[in-house]
Formats: sequence, C-alpha cells, structure tokens
Amino acid sequence: MNKPTNSGARRNPWTRREFLMRSGALGVAGLSLPALLAACGGGGGGNALVFDNWPLYIDPSEDGLVGSVERFAQASGVDLTYTESYNDNDEYFAKIQPLLGNDKRIDPDLIAPTFWMAGRLINLGWVDKLPLDKVPNKSNLEDNYVKPPWDPTGEYTMPWQAGTAGIAYNIDVTGRELKSTADLFDPAFKGKIGMLTEMRDTMGLILMSQGIDITTISTFEEAAAAFDVLEKAKADGQIRAFTGNDYIDDLVSGNYAACVGWSGDVLQLGKDSPNIRFVVPEEGGTLWADVMVMPKGTENTDAVAKWLDFVYDPVEAAQITTYVQYFSPVKGVQEEVAKLDPELAENPLVFPDAATASRLKSWANLSDDVDAQFADAFSAITGA
Amino acid sequence: MTLARRADNLGLGALAVSALCLVALGAGWFSGPLNAVVLLVLVCVLAGVVVLAVFGGPEARHLLAPYGLMKPGLLWMALFFLAPVWSLVRISLSTKESRFSVQYNFAWAWENYSRAFSDFGGQFQRAFLYSFIATILTIVIGYPIAYVIAFRGGRYKNLLLGLVVIPFFTSYLIRTIAWSTILADQGPIVSLLSTLGLVDVFEWLRIMDNGKLINTPAAVIGGLTYNFLPFMLLPIYVSLEKIDANLVNAANDLYSTPTAAFRKVVFPLSLPGVFAGTLLTFIPAAGDFVNAQFLGNPNTTMIGNSIQDQFLRQNNYPVASAMSAVLMVSITALVLLYSRLFGTEELV
Repeated sequence: MNKPTNSGARRNPWTRREFLMRSGALGVAGLSLPALLAACGGGGGGNALVFDNWPLYIDPSEDGLVGSVERFAQASGVDLTYTESYNDNDEYFAKIQPLLGNDKRIDPDLIAPTFWMAGRLINLGWVDKLPLDKVPNKSNLEDNYVKPPWDPTGEYTMPWQAGTAGIAYNIDVTGRELKSTADLFDPAFKGKIGMLTEMRDTMGLILMSQGIDITTISTFEEAAAAFDVLEKAKADGQIRAFTGNDYIDDLVSGNYAACVGWSGDVLQLGKDSPNIRFVVPEEGGTLWADVMVMPKGTENTDAVAKWLDFVYDPVEAAQITTYVQYFSPVKGVQEEVAKLDPELAENPLVFPDAATASRLKSWANLSDDVDAQFADAFSAITGA
Repeated sequence: MTLARRADNLGLGALAVSALCLVALGAGWFSGPLNAVVLLVLVCVLAGVVVLAVFGGPEARHLLAPYGLMKPGLLWMALFFLAPVWSLVRISLSTKESRFSVQYNFAWAWENYSRAFSDFGGQFQRAFLYSFIATILTIVIGYPIAYVIAFRGGRYKNLLLGLVVIPFFTSYLIRTIAWSTILADQGPIVSLLSTLGLVDVFEWLRIMDNGKLINTPAAVIGGLTYNFLPFMLLPIYVSLEKIDANLVNAANDLYSTPTAAFRKVVFPLSLPGVFAGTLLTFIPAAGDFVNAQFLGNPNTTMIGNSIQDQFLRQNNYPVASAMSAVLMVSITALVLLYSRLFGTEELV
C-alpha cells in the first residue's frame, strides 16, 4: 500500500500509474464480456419455442411468399422466436460450454450444430432426447439419417439440412472453369484463395485430393501430409483468408478467385450472380448435415415436437428447400419441389444423382484425442 | 482514547482489509456462505472506520482523512482490477481436467507460458511491430493536423475538431469493414492505381502485394493508424492549444527562425500530448484483433487474434490467460521504459 502524499509535484506519476491500471482493467473487462453476454437471457415456458439456427438457412417472407416461421406460427399457435446467431460450431460451443458444463440451461430450446458437434454434445450429455413419439412425420426422415454414426440410437438428432462442401469460384476472376481441389493450389490464383475455418470441410477436400478416405480415417498421422500442404499454401501466401460464412462477400466482390464453400450458399448466390459457380471436385467433396438437438433442460418439448413435425412435412420442407437449396433430409421433397420449381428438382447439387452422390464422402467419427490433434494442428495453421 | 491516536494505522488497516475482502469476493476465493462472512467483515470494517471518524474527535478525523479519500479509488481498483488480474494469473497457471471441462485446477502450470512464447512468438512480434509503426504514423499524420487546428483554426477550431471526430461516431467494426470494400481488388482505389500505372511503385514500396491492397501487412497497419488517429490527435491538440502565443512571439523577437521557434518552444511544450497520445494509441493497438482479422491475411495475425481464438474457439482458457498476462506485462514494461526515456513529468 502506498502512503498518500500531499505534495503536488509528486502526484504526477500517480496519475500515470492509475491510468495504466485502468487500461488494464478495461482489457480484462473486455475479455470477460462474452461470458457475460452468454449468461444473459431468461427461459420461456409453455407454448414458446426458441430456435437458434445458422444465418440465411430458412425461407423468409418475401416476394409475396409467407416464410416458414410465420406459416408455423399461424398453423400451430406456438410463439416461435427464430434467431440466427449460430455462426460457427467452435464459437458456439465456446459460448454454451460454461453454462451447459455447469448444469445451467441455455436460452434456445433447439439448436442446429453440425453432425460432429452434435456427436460431441451427445457424448458430453449436454442434450436431451427429442420428443419423437409426438412427431408423426418422423417417418419422413431419409433412411440414412435414422441411426447415423453421430447418433447411433437416433434419439437425439433430426437433421435440419444437409449439404456438401466443394469449390466455389468466380469465373470472372479465374477465367476458366474449375474442376479439381488441385486448382485451389494453382500459383496463378496466389493470394486469391479462401478456405473455411470449418476444419472438416477444408481438410476434407485436401485429404480426398490426396486419395485418403475420410470415411475411415482414424489417426492424425494419416492426415499429417494434408496439413503440410495447407501449411505450405498459407506460408506461400496462396491463401487470402480463413473465414466462416462471410466468404460469400469476398467471392462476389472478386477478392477470391475460388474458395471452399457450401453448396446451398453458392446456389442461392448464383440466382443473382451467374459468374459465381459451384463444383463438387472430381477428387470428392465432403457431405455433412446440420442436425437439430435440444440442449439439456429444455422445458418446451411440446412446442419442439410441433416444430419438428411441421418441418418434416414434405410440403413445408419443399418451401425451405426451394429457398436454401441444400439437401433435404425429408422424403418426398423432390416431388413437392418439382411442383414449385421443376428445374430445381433436377439440379444434382440439390438432389444429388448417382454420379454426384458417389463423389460425396462424410467424415468418420474421430475419437476425442484425435479430434483434439486435428483441431490443434488446424488452428496452428489458421494462425488466429 | 488510544484508538483515536492511532487512527492512521487503523485507517490503513481498514483500507487493506476491505480491499482484500473485495478481491476475495471478486476473484471467488471462497464459495457459498463464506462469501456472506467476507461481505459482513467488509461492511463491519467500513462501518468501524465511519464510527471512529464520527466519535474519534478532530485529530482522529485529520489522521483518517487521507485514507478515507483514497478509499473509493482503491476499493474500485481492488474489485475491478486486482480481482480480475488475480483470476487471470490463476487460470494462466491452471490445467483443465479434460478437454471440454469448465473446471480449472491450479497447478503451477508454467507450460502455459512456454506455449504462449513458443507457439505464438510470431504473433507477439507482429503485434508490437505493427502497433509501433501505426503509432509513429499517427504522430506523423496527427501532429500537423492538430497543429493546424490549434494555431490556424481560428473560429473554425471546433468545426475542424468535429470533422476529425464525427466519423468515429460510427461503429469501430463498420469502419474497419468499410476499408475492405474500399480497398477491394476490384474496388475504386486499386482500379485507380492500375489506371495510373502506379501498381509497380506500390508493390516496390511493399504497400501492395501481388496486386492486392487489402489482406496485406500494410492494410493492417493502415487500419490501426486510421482507427487510433483521434486518440493521438486529440491529446496533442489539447497540449498545443494551451501554448501561449506570446511565447512564440517572444522567440521571434529574440531572432529565432520559425523553425527554431517550433523546435525549441512549441514542440517541447507539446510533448506531454505526444506522450499521452502514444500510450492511448500503442496500448490498445498492440492488443487489437479487429484490423488483423478483417484487413489481414493468415500470415499477419496479431496476438489479439490468438488470444481471441484460444478463448472463444479453442476453449483453452489457461493458454489464453497466459498470453494475456504476457501481453499485459510486456506492454507495461515497454511503457515504463518509454516513460523513463522520453516521458515528461507533466503528463497531462
């Protein structure tokens, strides 16, 4: 403890020190802010439902059409709050971890993590079983999702949408059609290539281009060479940025010649900008699914059941598919989409034909330790 | 009353105990009902001091006064500075029970610090290099502007200052992202430069890289310079504005050239502003992650990006805390060194 002094001349160093300490305190306050934000928000009871989903992942009310959120609210009377703050699996996990890990509940009654994250949440015991007995339309679930690898009993997850990661490119910048993952490493596109922060999609494409089967991968050693490829491309300045969903802006503005992108995003974009194209690389693209899970402690299970039943009705699901253009996990959607938009129903990037489907691979379940090795190696390269 | 005669010791003791109580509460040293006990101790100590001041007579009040006056500031610091720093240092020396655990066990885990240096040395270097260059640039740009406003602004002074500050009413994030539109590969600036045939010059100057203005080190430094310019300009303006014009006239009367008058009179008197501006610019710039994220590329990440990534994506609080602690200590050391070398006693 410093003794206070009264002499005016010696007060000056004090102010400086105080100033520094305050700056430090502000810094610390800034770091703890996200935790405070995550702790905000109360629960809803009865007939309310909060669904936190990825951005631009549902049909909005526009052009004279009524969006699914409004249609559901009218049909069921459930007070649905649909939010779009699920931007990135790792980020979202870091946000909910301090709550669910301490046996507190989070605000949303339903979230849509990617399959591997859902698997992690199931293993940690942070999600509840879905009220499937109150969902008659569960019979419309595509067969391959009934007991998927990430949810062996099929009681915890129902897919929202599925899709593929492939190569998105701006043909005005590339000047040619792209076909292969190797094109991403073409020196002609130096500094104009984007990669996703979603490790499984970026690494999946590189692994497949090396002939490694991601459906059976089980050790980090199998992937070491692929990580070296990415590391070298980053060091050489080939890669412009690692991003989440915001890759779209750079693709449209022409900052990117090409990037790893998600099928539905690029197809939605292609409606307005024909120079933006998407291709499943000839070496193969990754197949993924974002699945709906109920975080532990959800009370509004009836409303969740009504919602699941609504979106698994092929007529309603077709509305969503027509807008988002991802793979629908609901049987009978292709027929319904054919009534709305016959051309879309024939698009192999929305309803994969046999040739496309054979090139799509989904990741094996990585054990926790191996997953940690992959995540560490990837974050060391993305540099953030 | 003997108690009243030792009022200064009691005042110091009460200050220390109440500060300790607040740190204990803020940093969560105890759990459950013990916290109530700590709170009770805190209230009793504070009440005791008040009682002593009220009934102890004028001499006791005189002895207690300095501690009483220090109390609001010091207790504030105990709760909002010491307690968080305590938590930060504690977590930085902890290990996680398992990968997704939210429990941190204190274990003198110095390996968190060695990892901070070994894995993120490059990010530390870039953070200090970029923020150092940006600080120099803000002085080079900000000083002349502040000078013109202070000495030549006349009745437009406030208007000119307003013009400097108004853009900063917009969100920090939006202004930074706006640069990525302005500097885009097919944006207005790059097209203008290529029309004028200046791309090669800019490449030679290392401002452009492979035809890109954005996603380069220069863009990150430029973003930092732009975003922190007012923090440099305003303190310099304040110290310039206070300078008595008669001092410059006196220098001129004594046959000083305008250059010498600036060098020997105006500039030394404005140094406190430069010093304060440097601190206000360098310290936040060194920890910034927004500019490197939106204007940089994967090879230009700064330590702020790494800390954010470890905290908010990797859930590695121990390593992130270790990096934050290293950043705080190294900034403090740099600033102390700087103030020893160039600091003025009259820091505004």
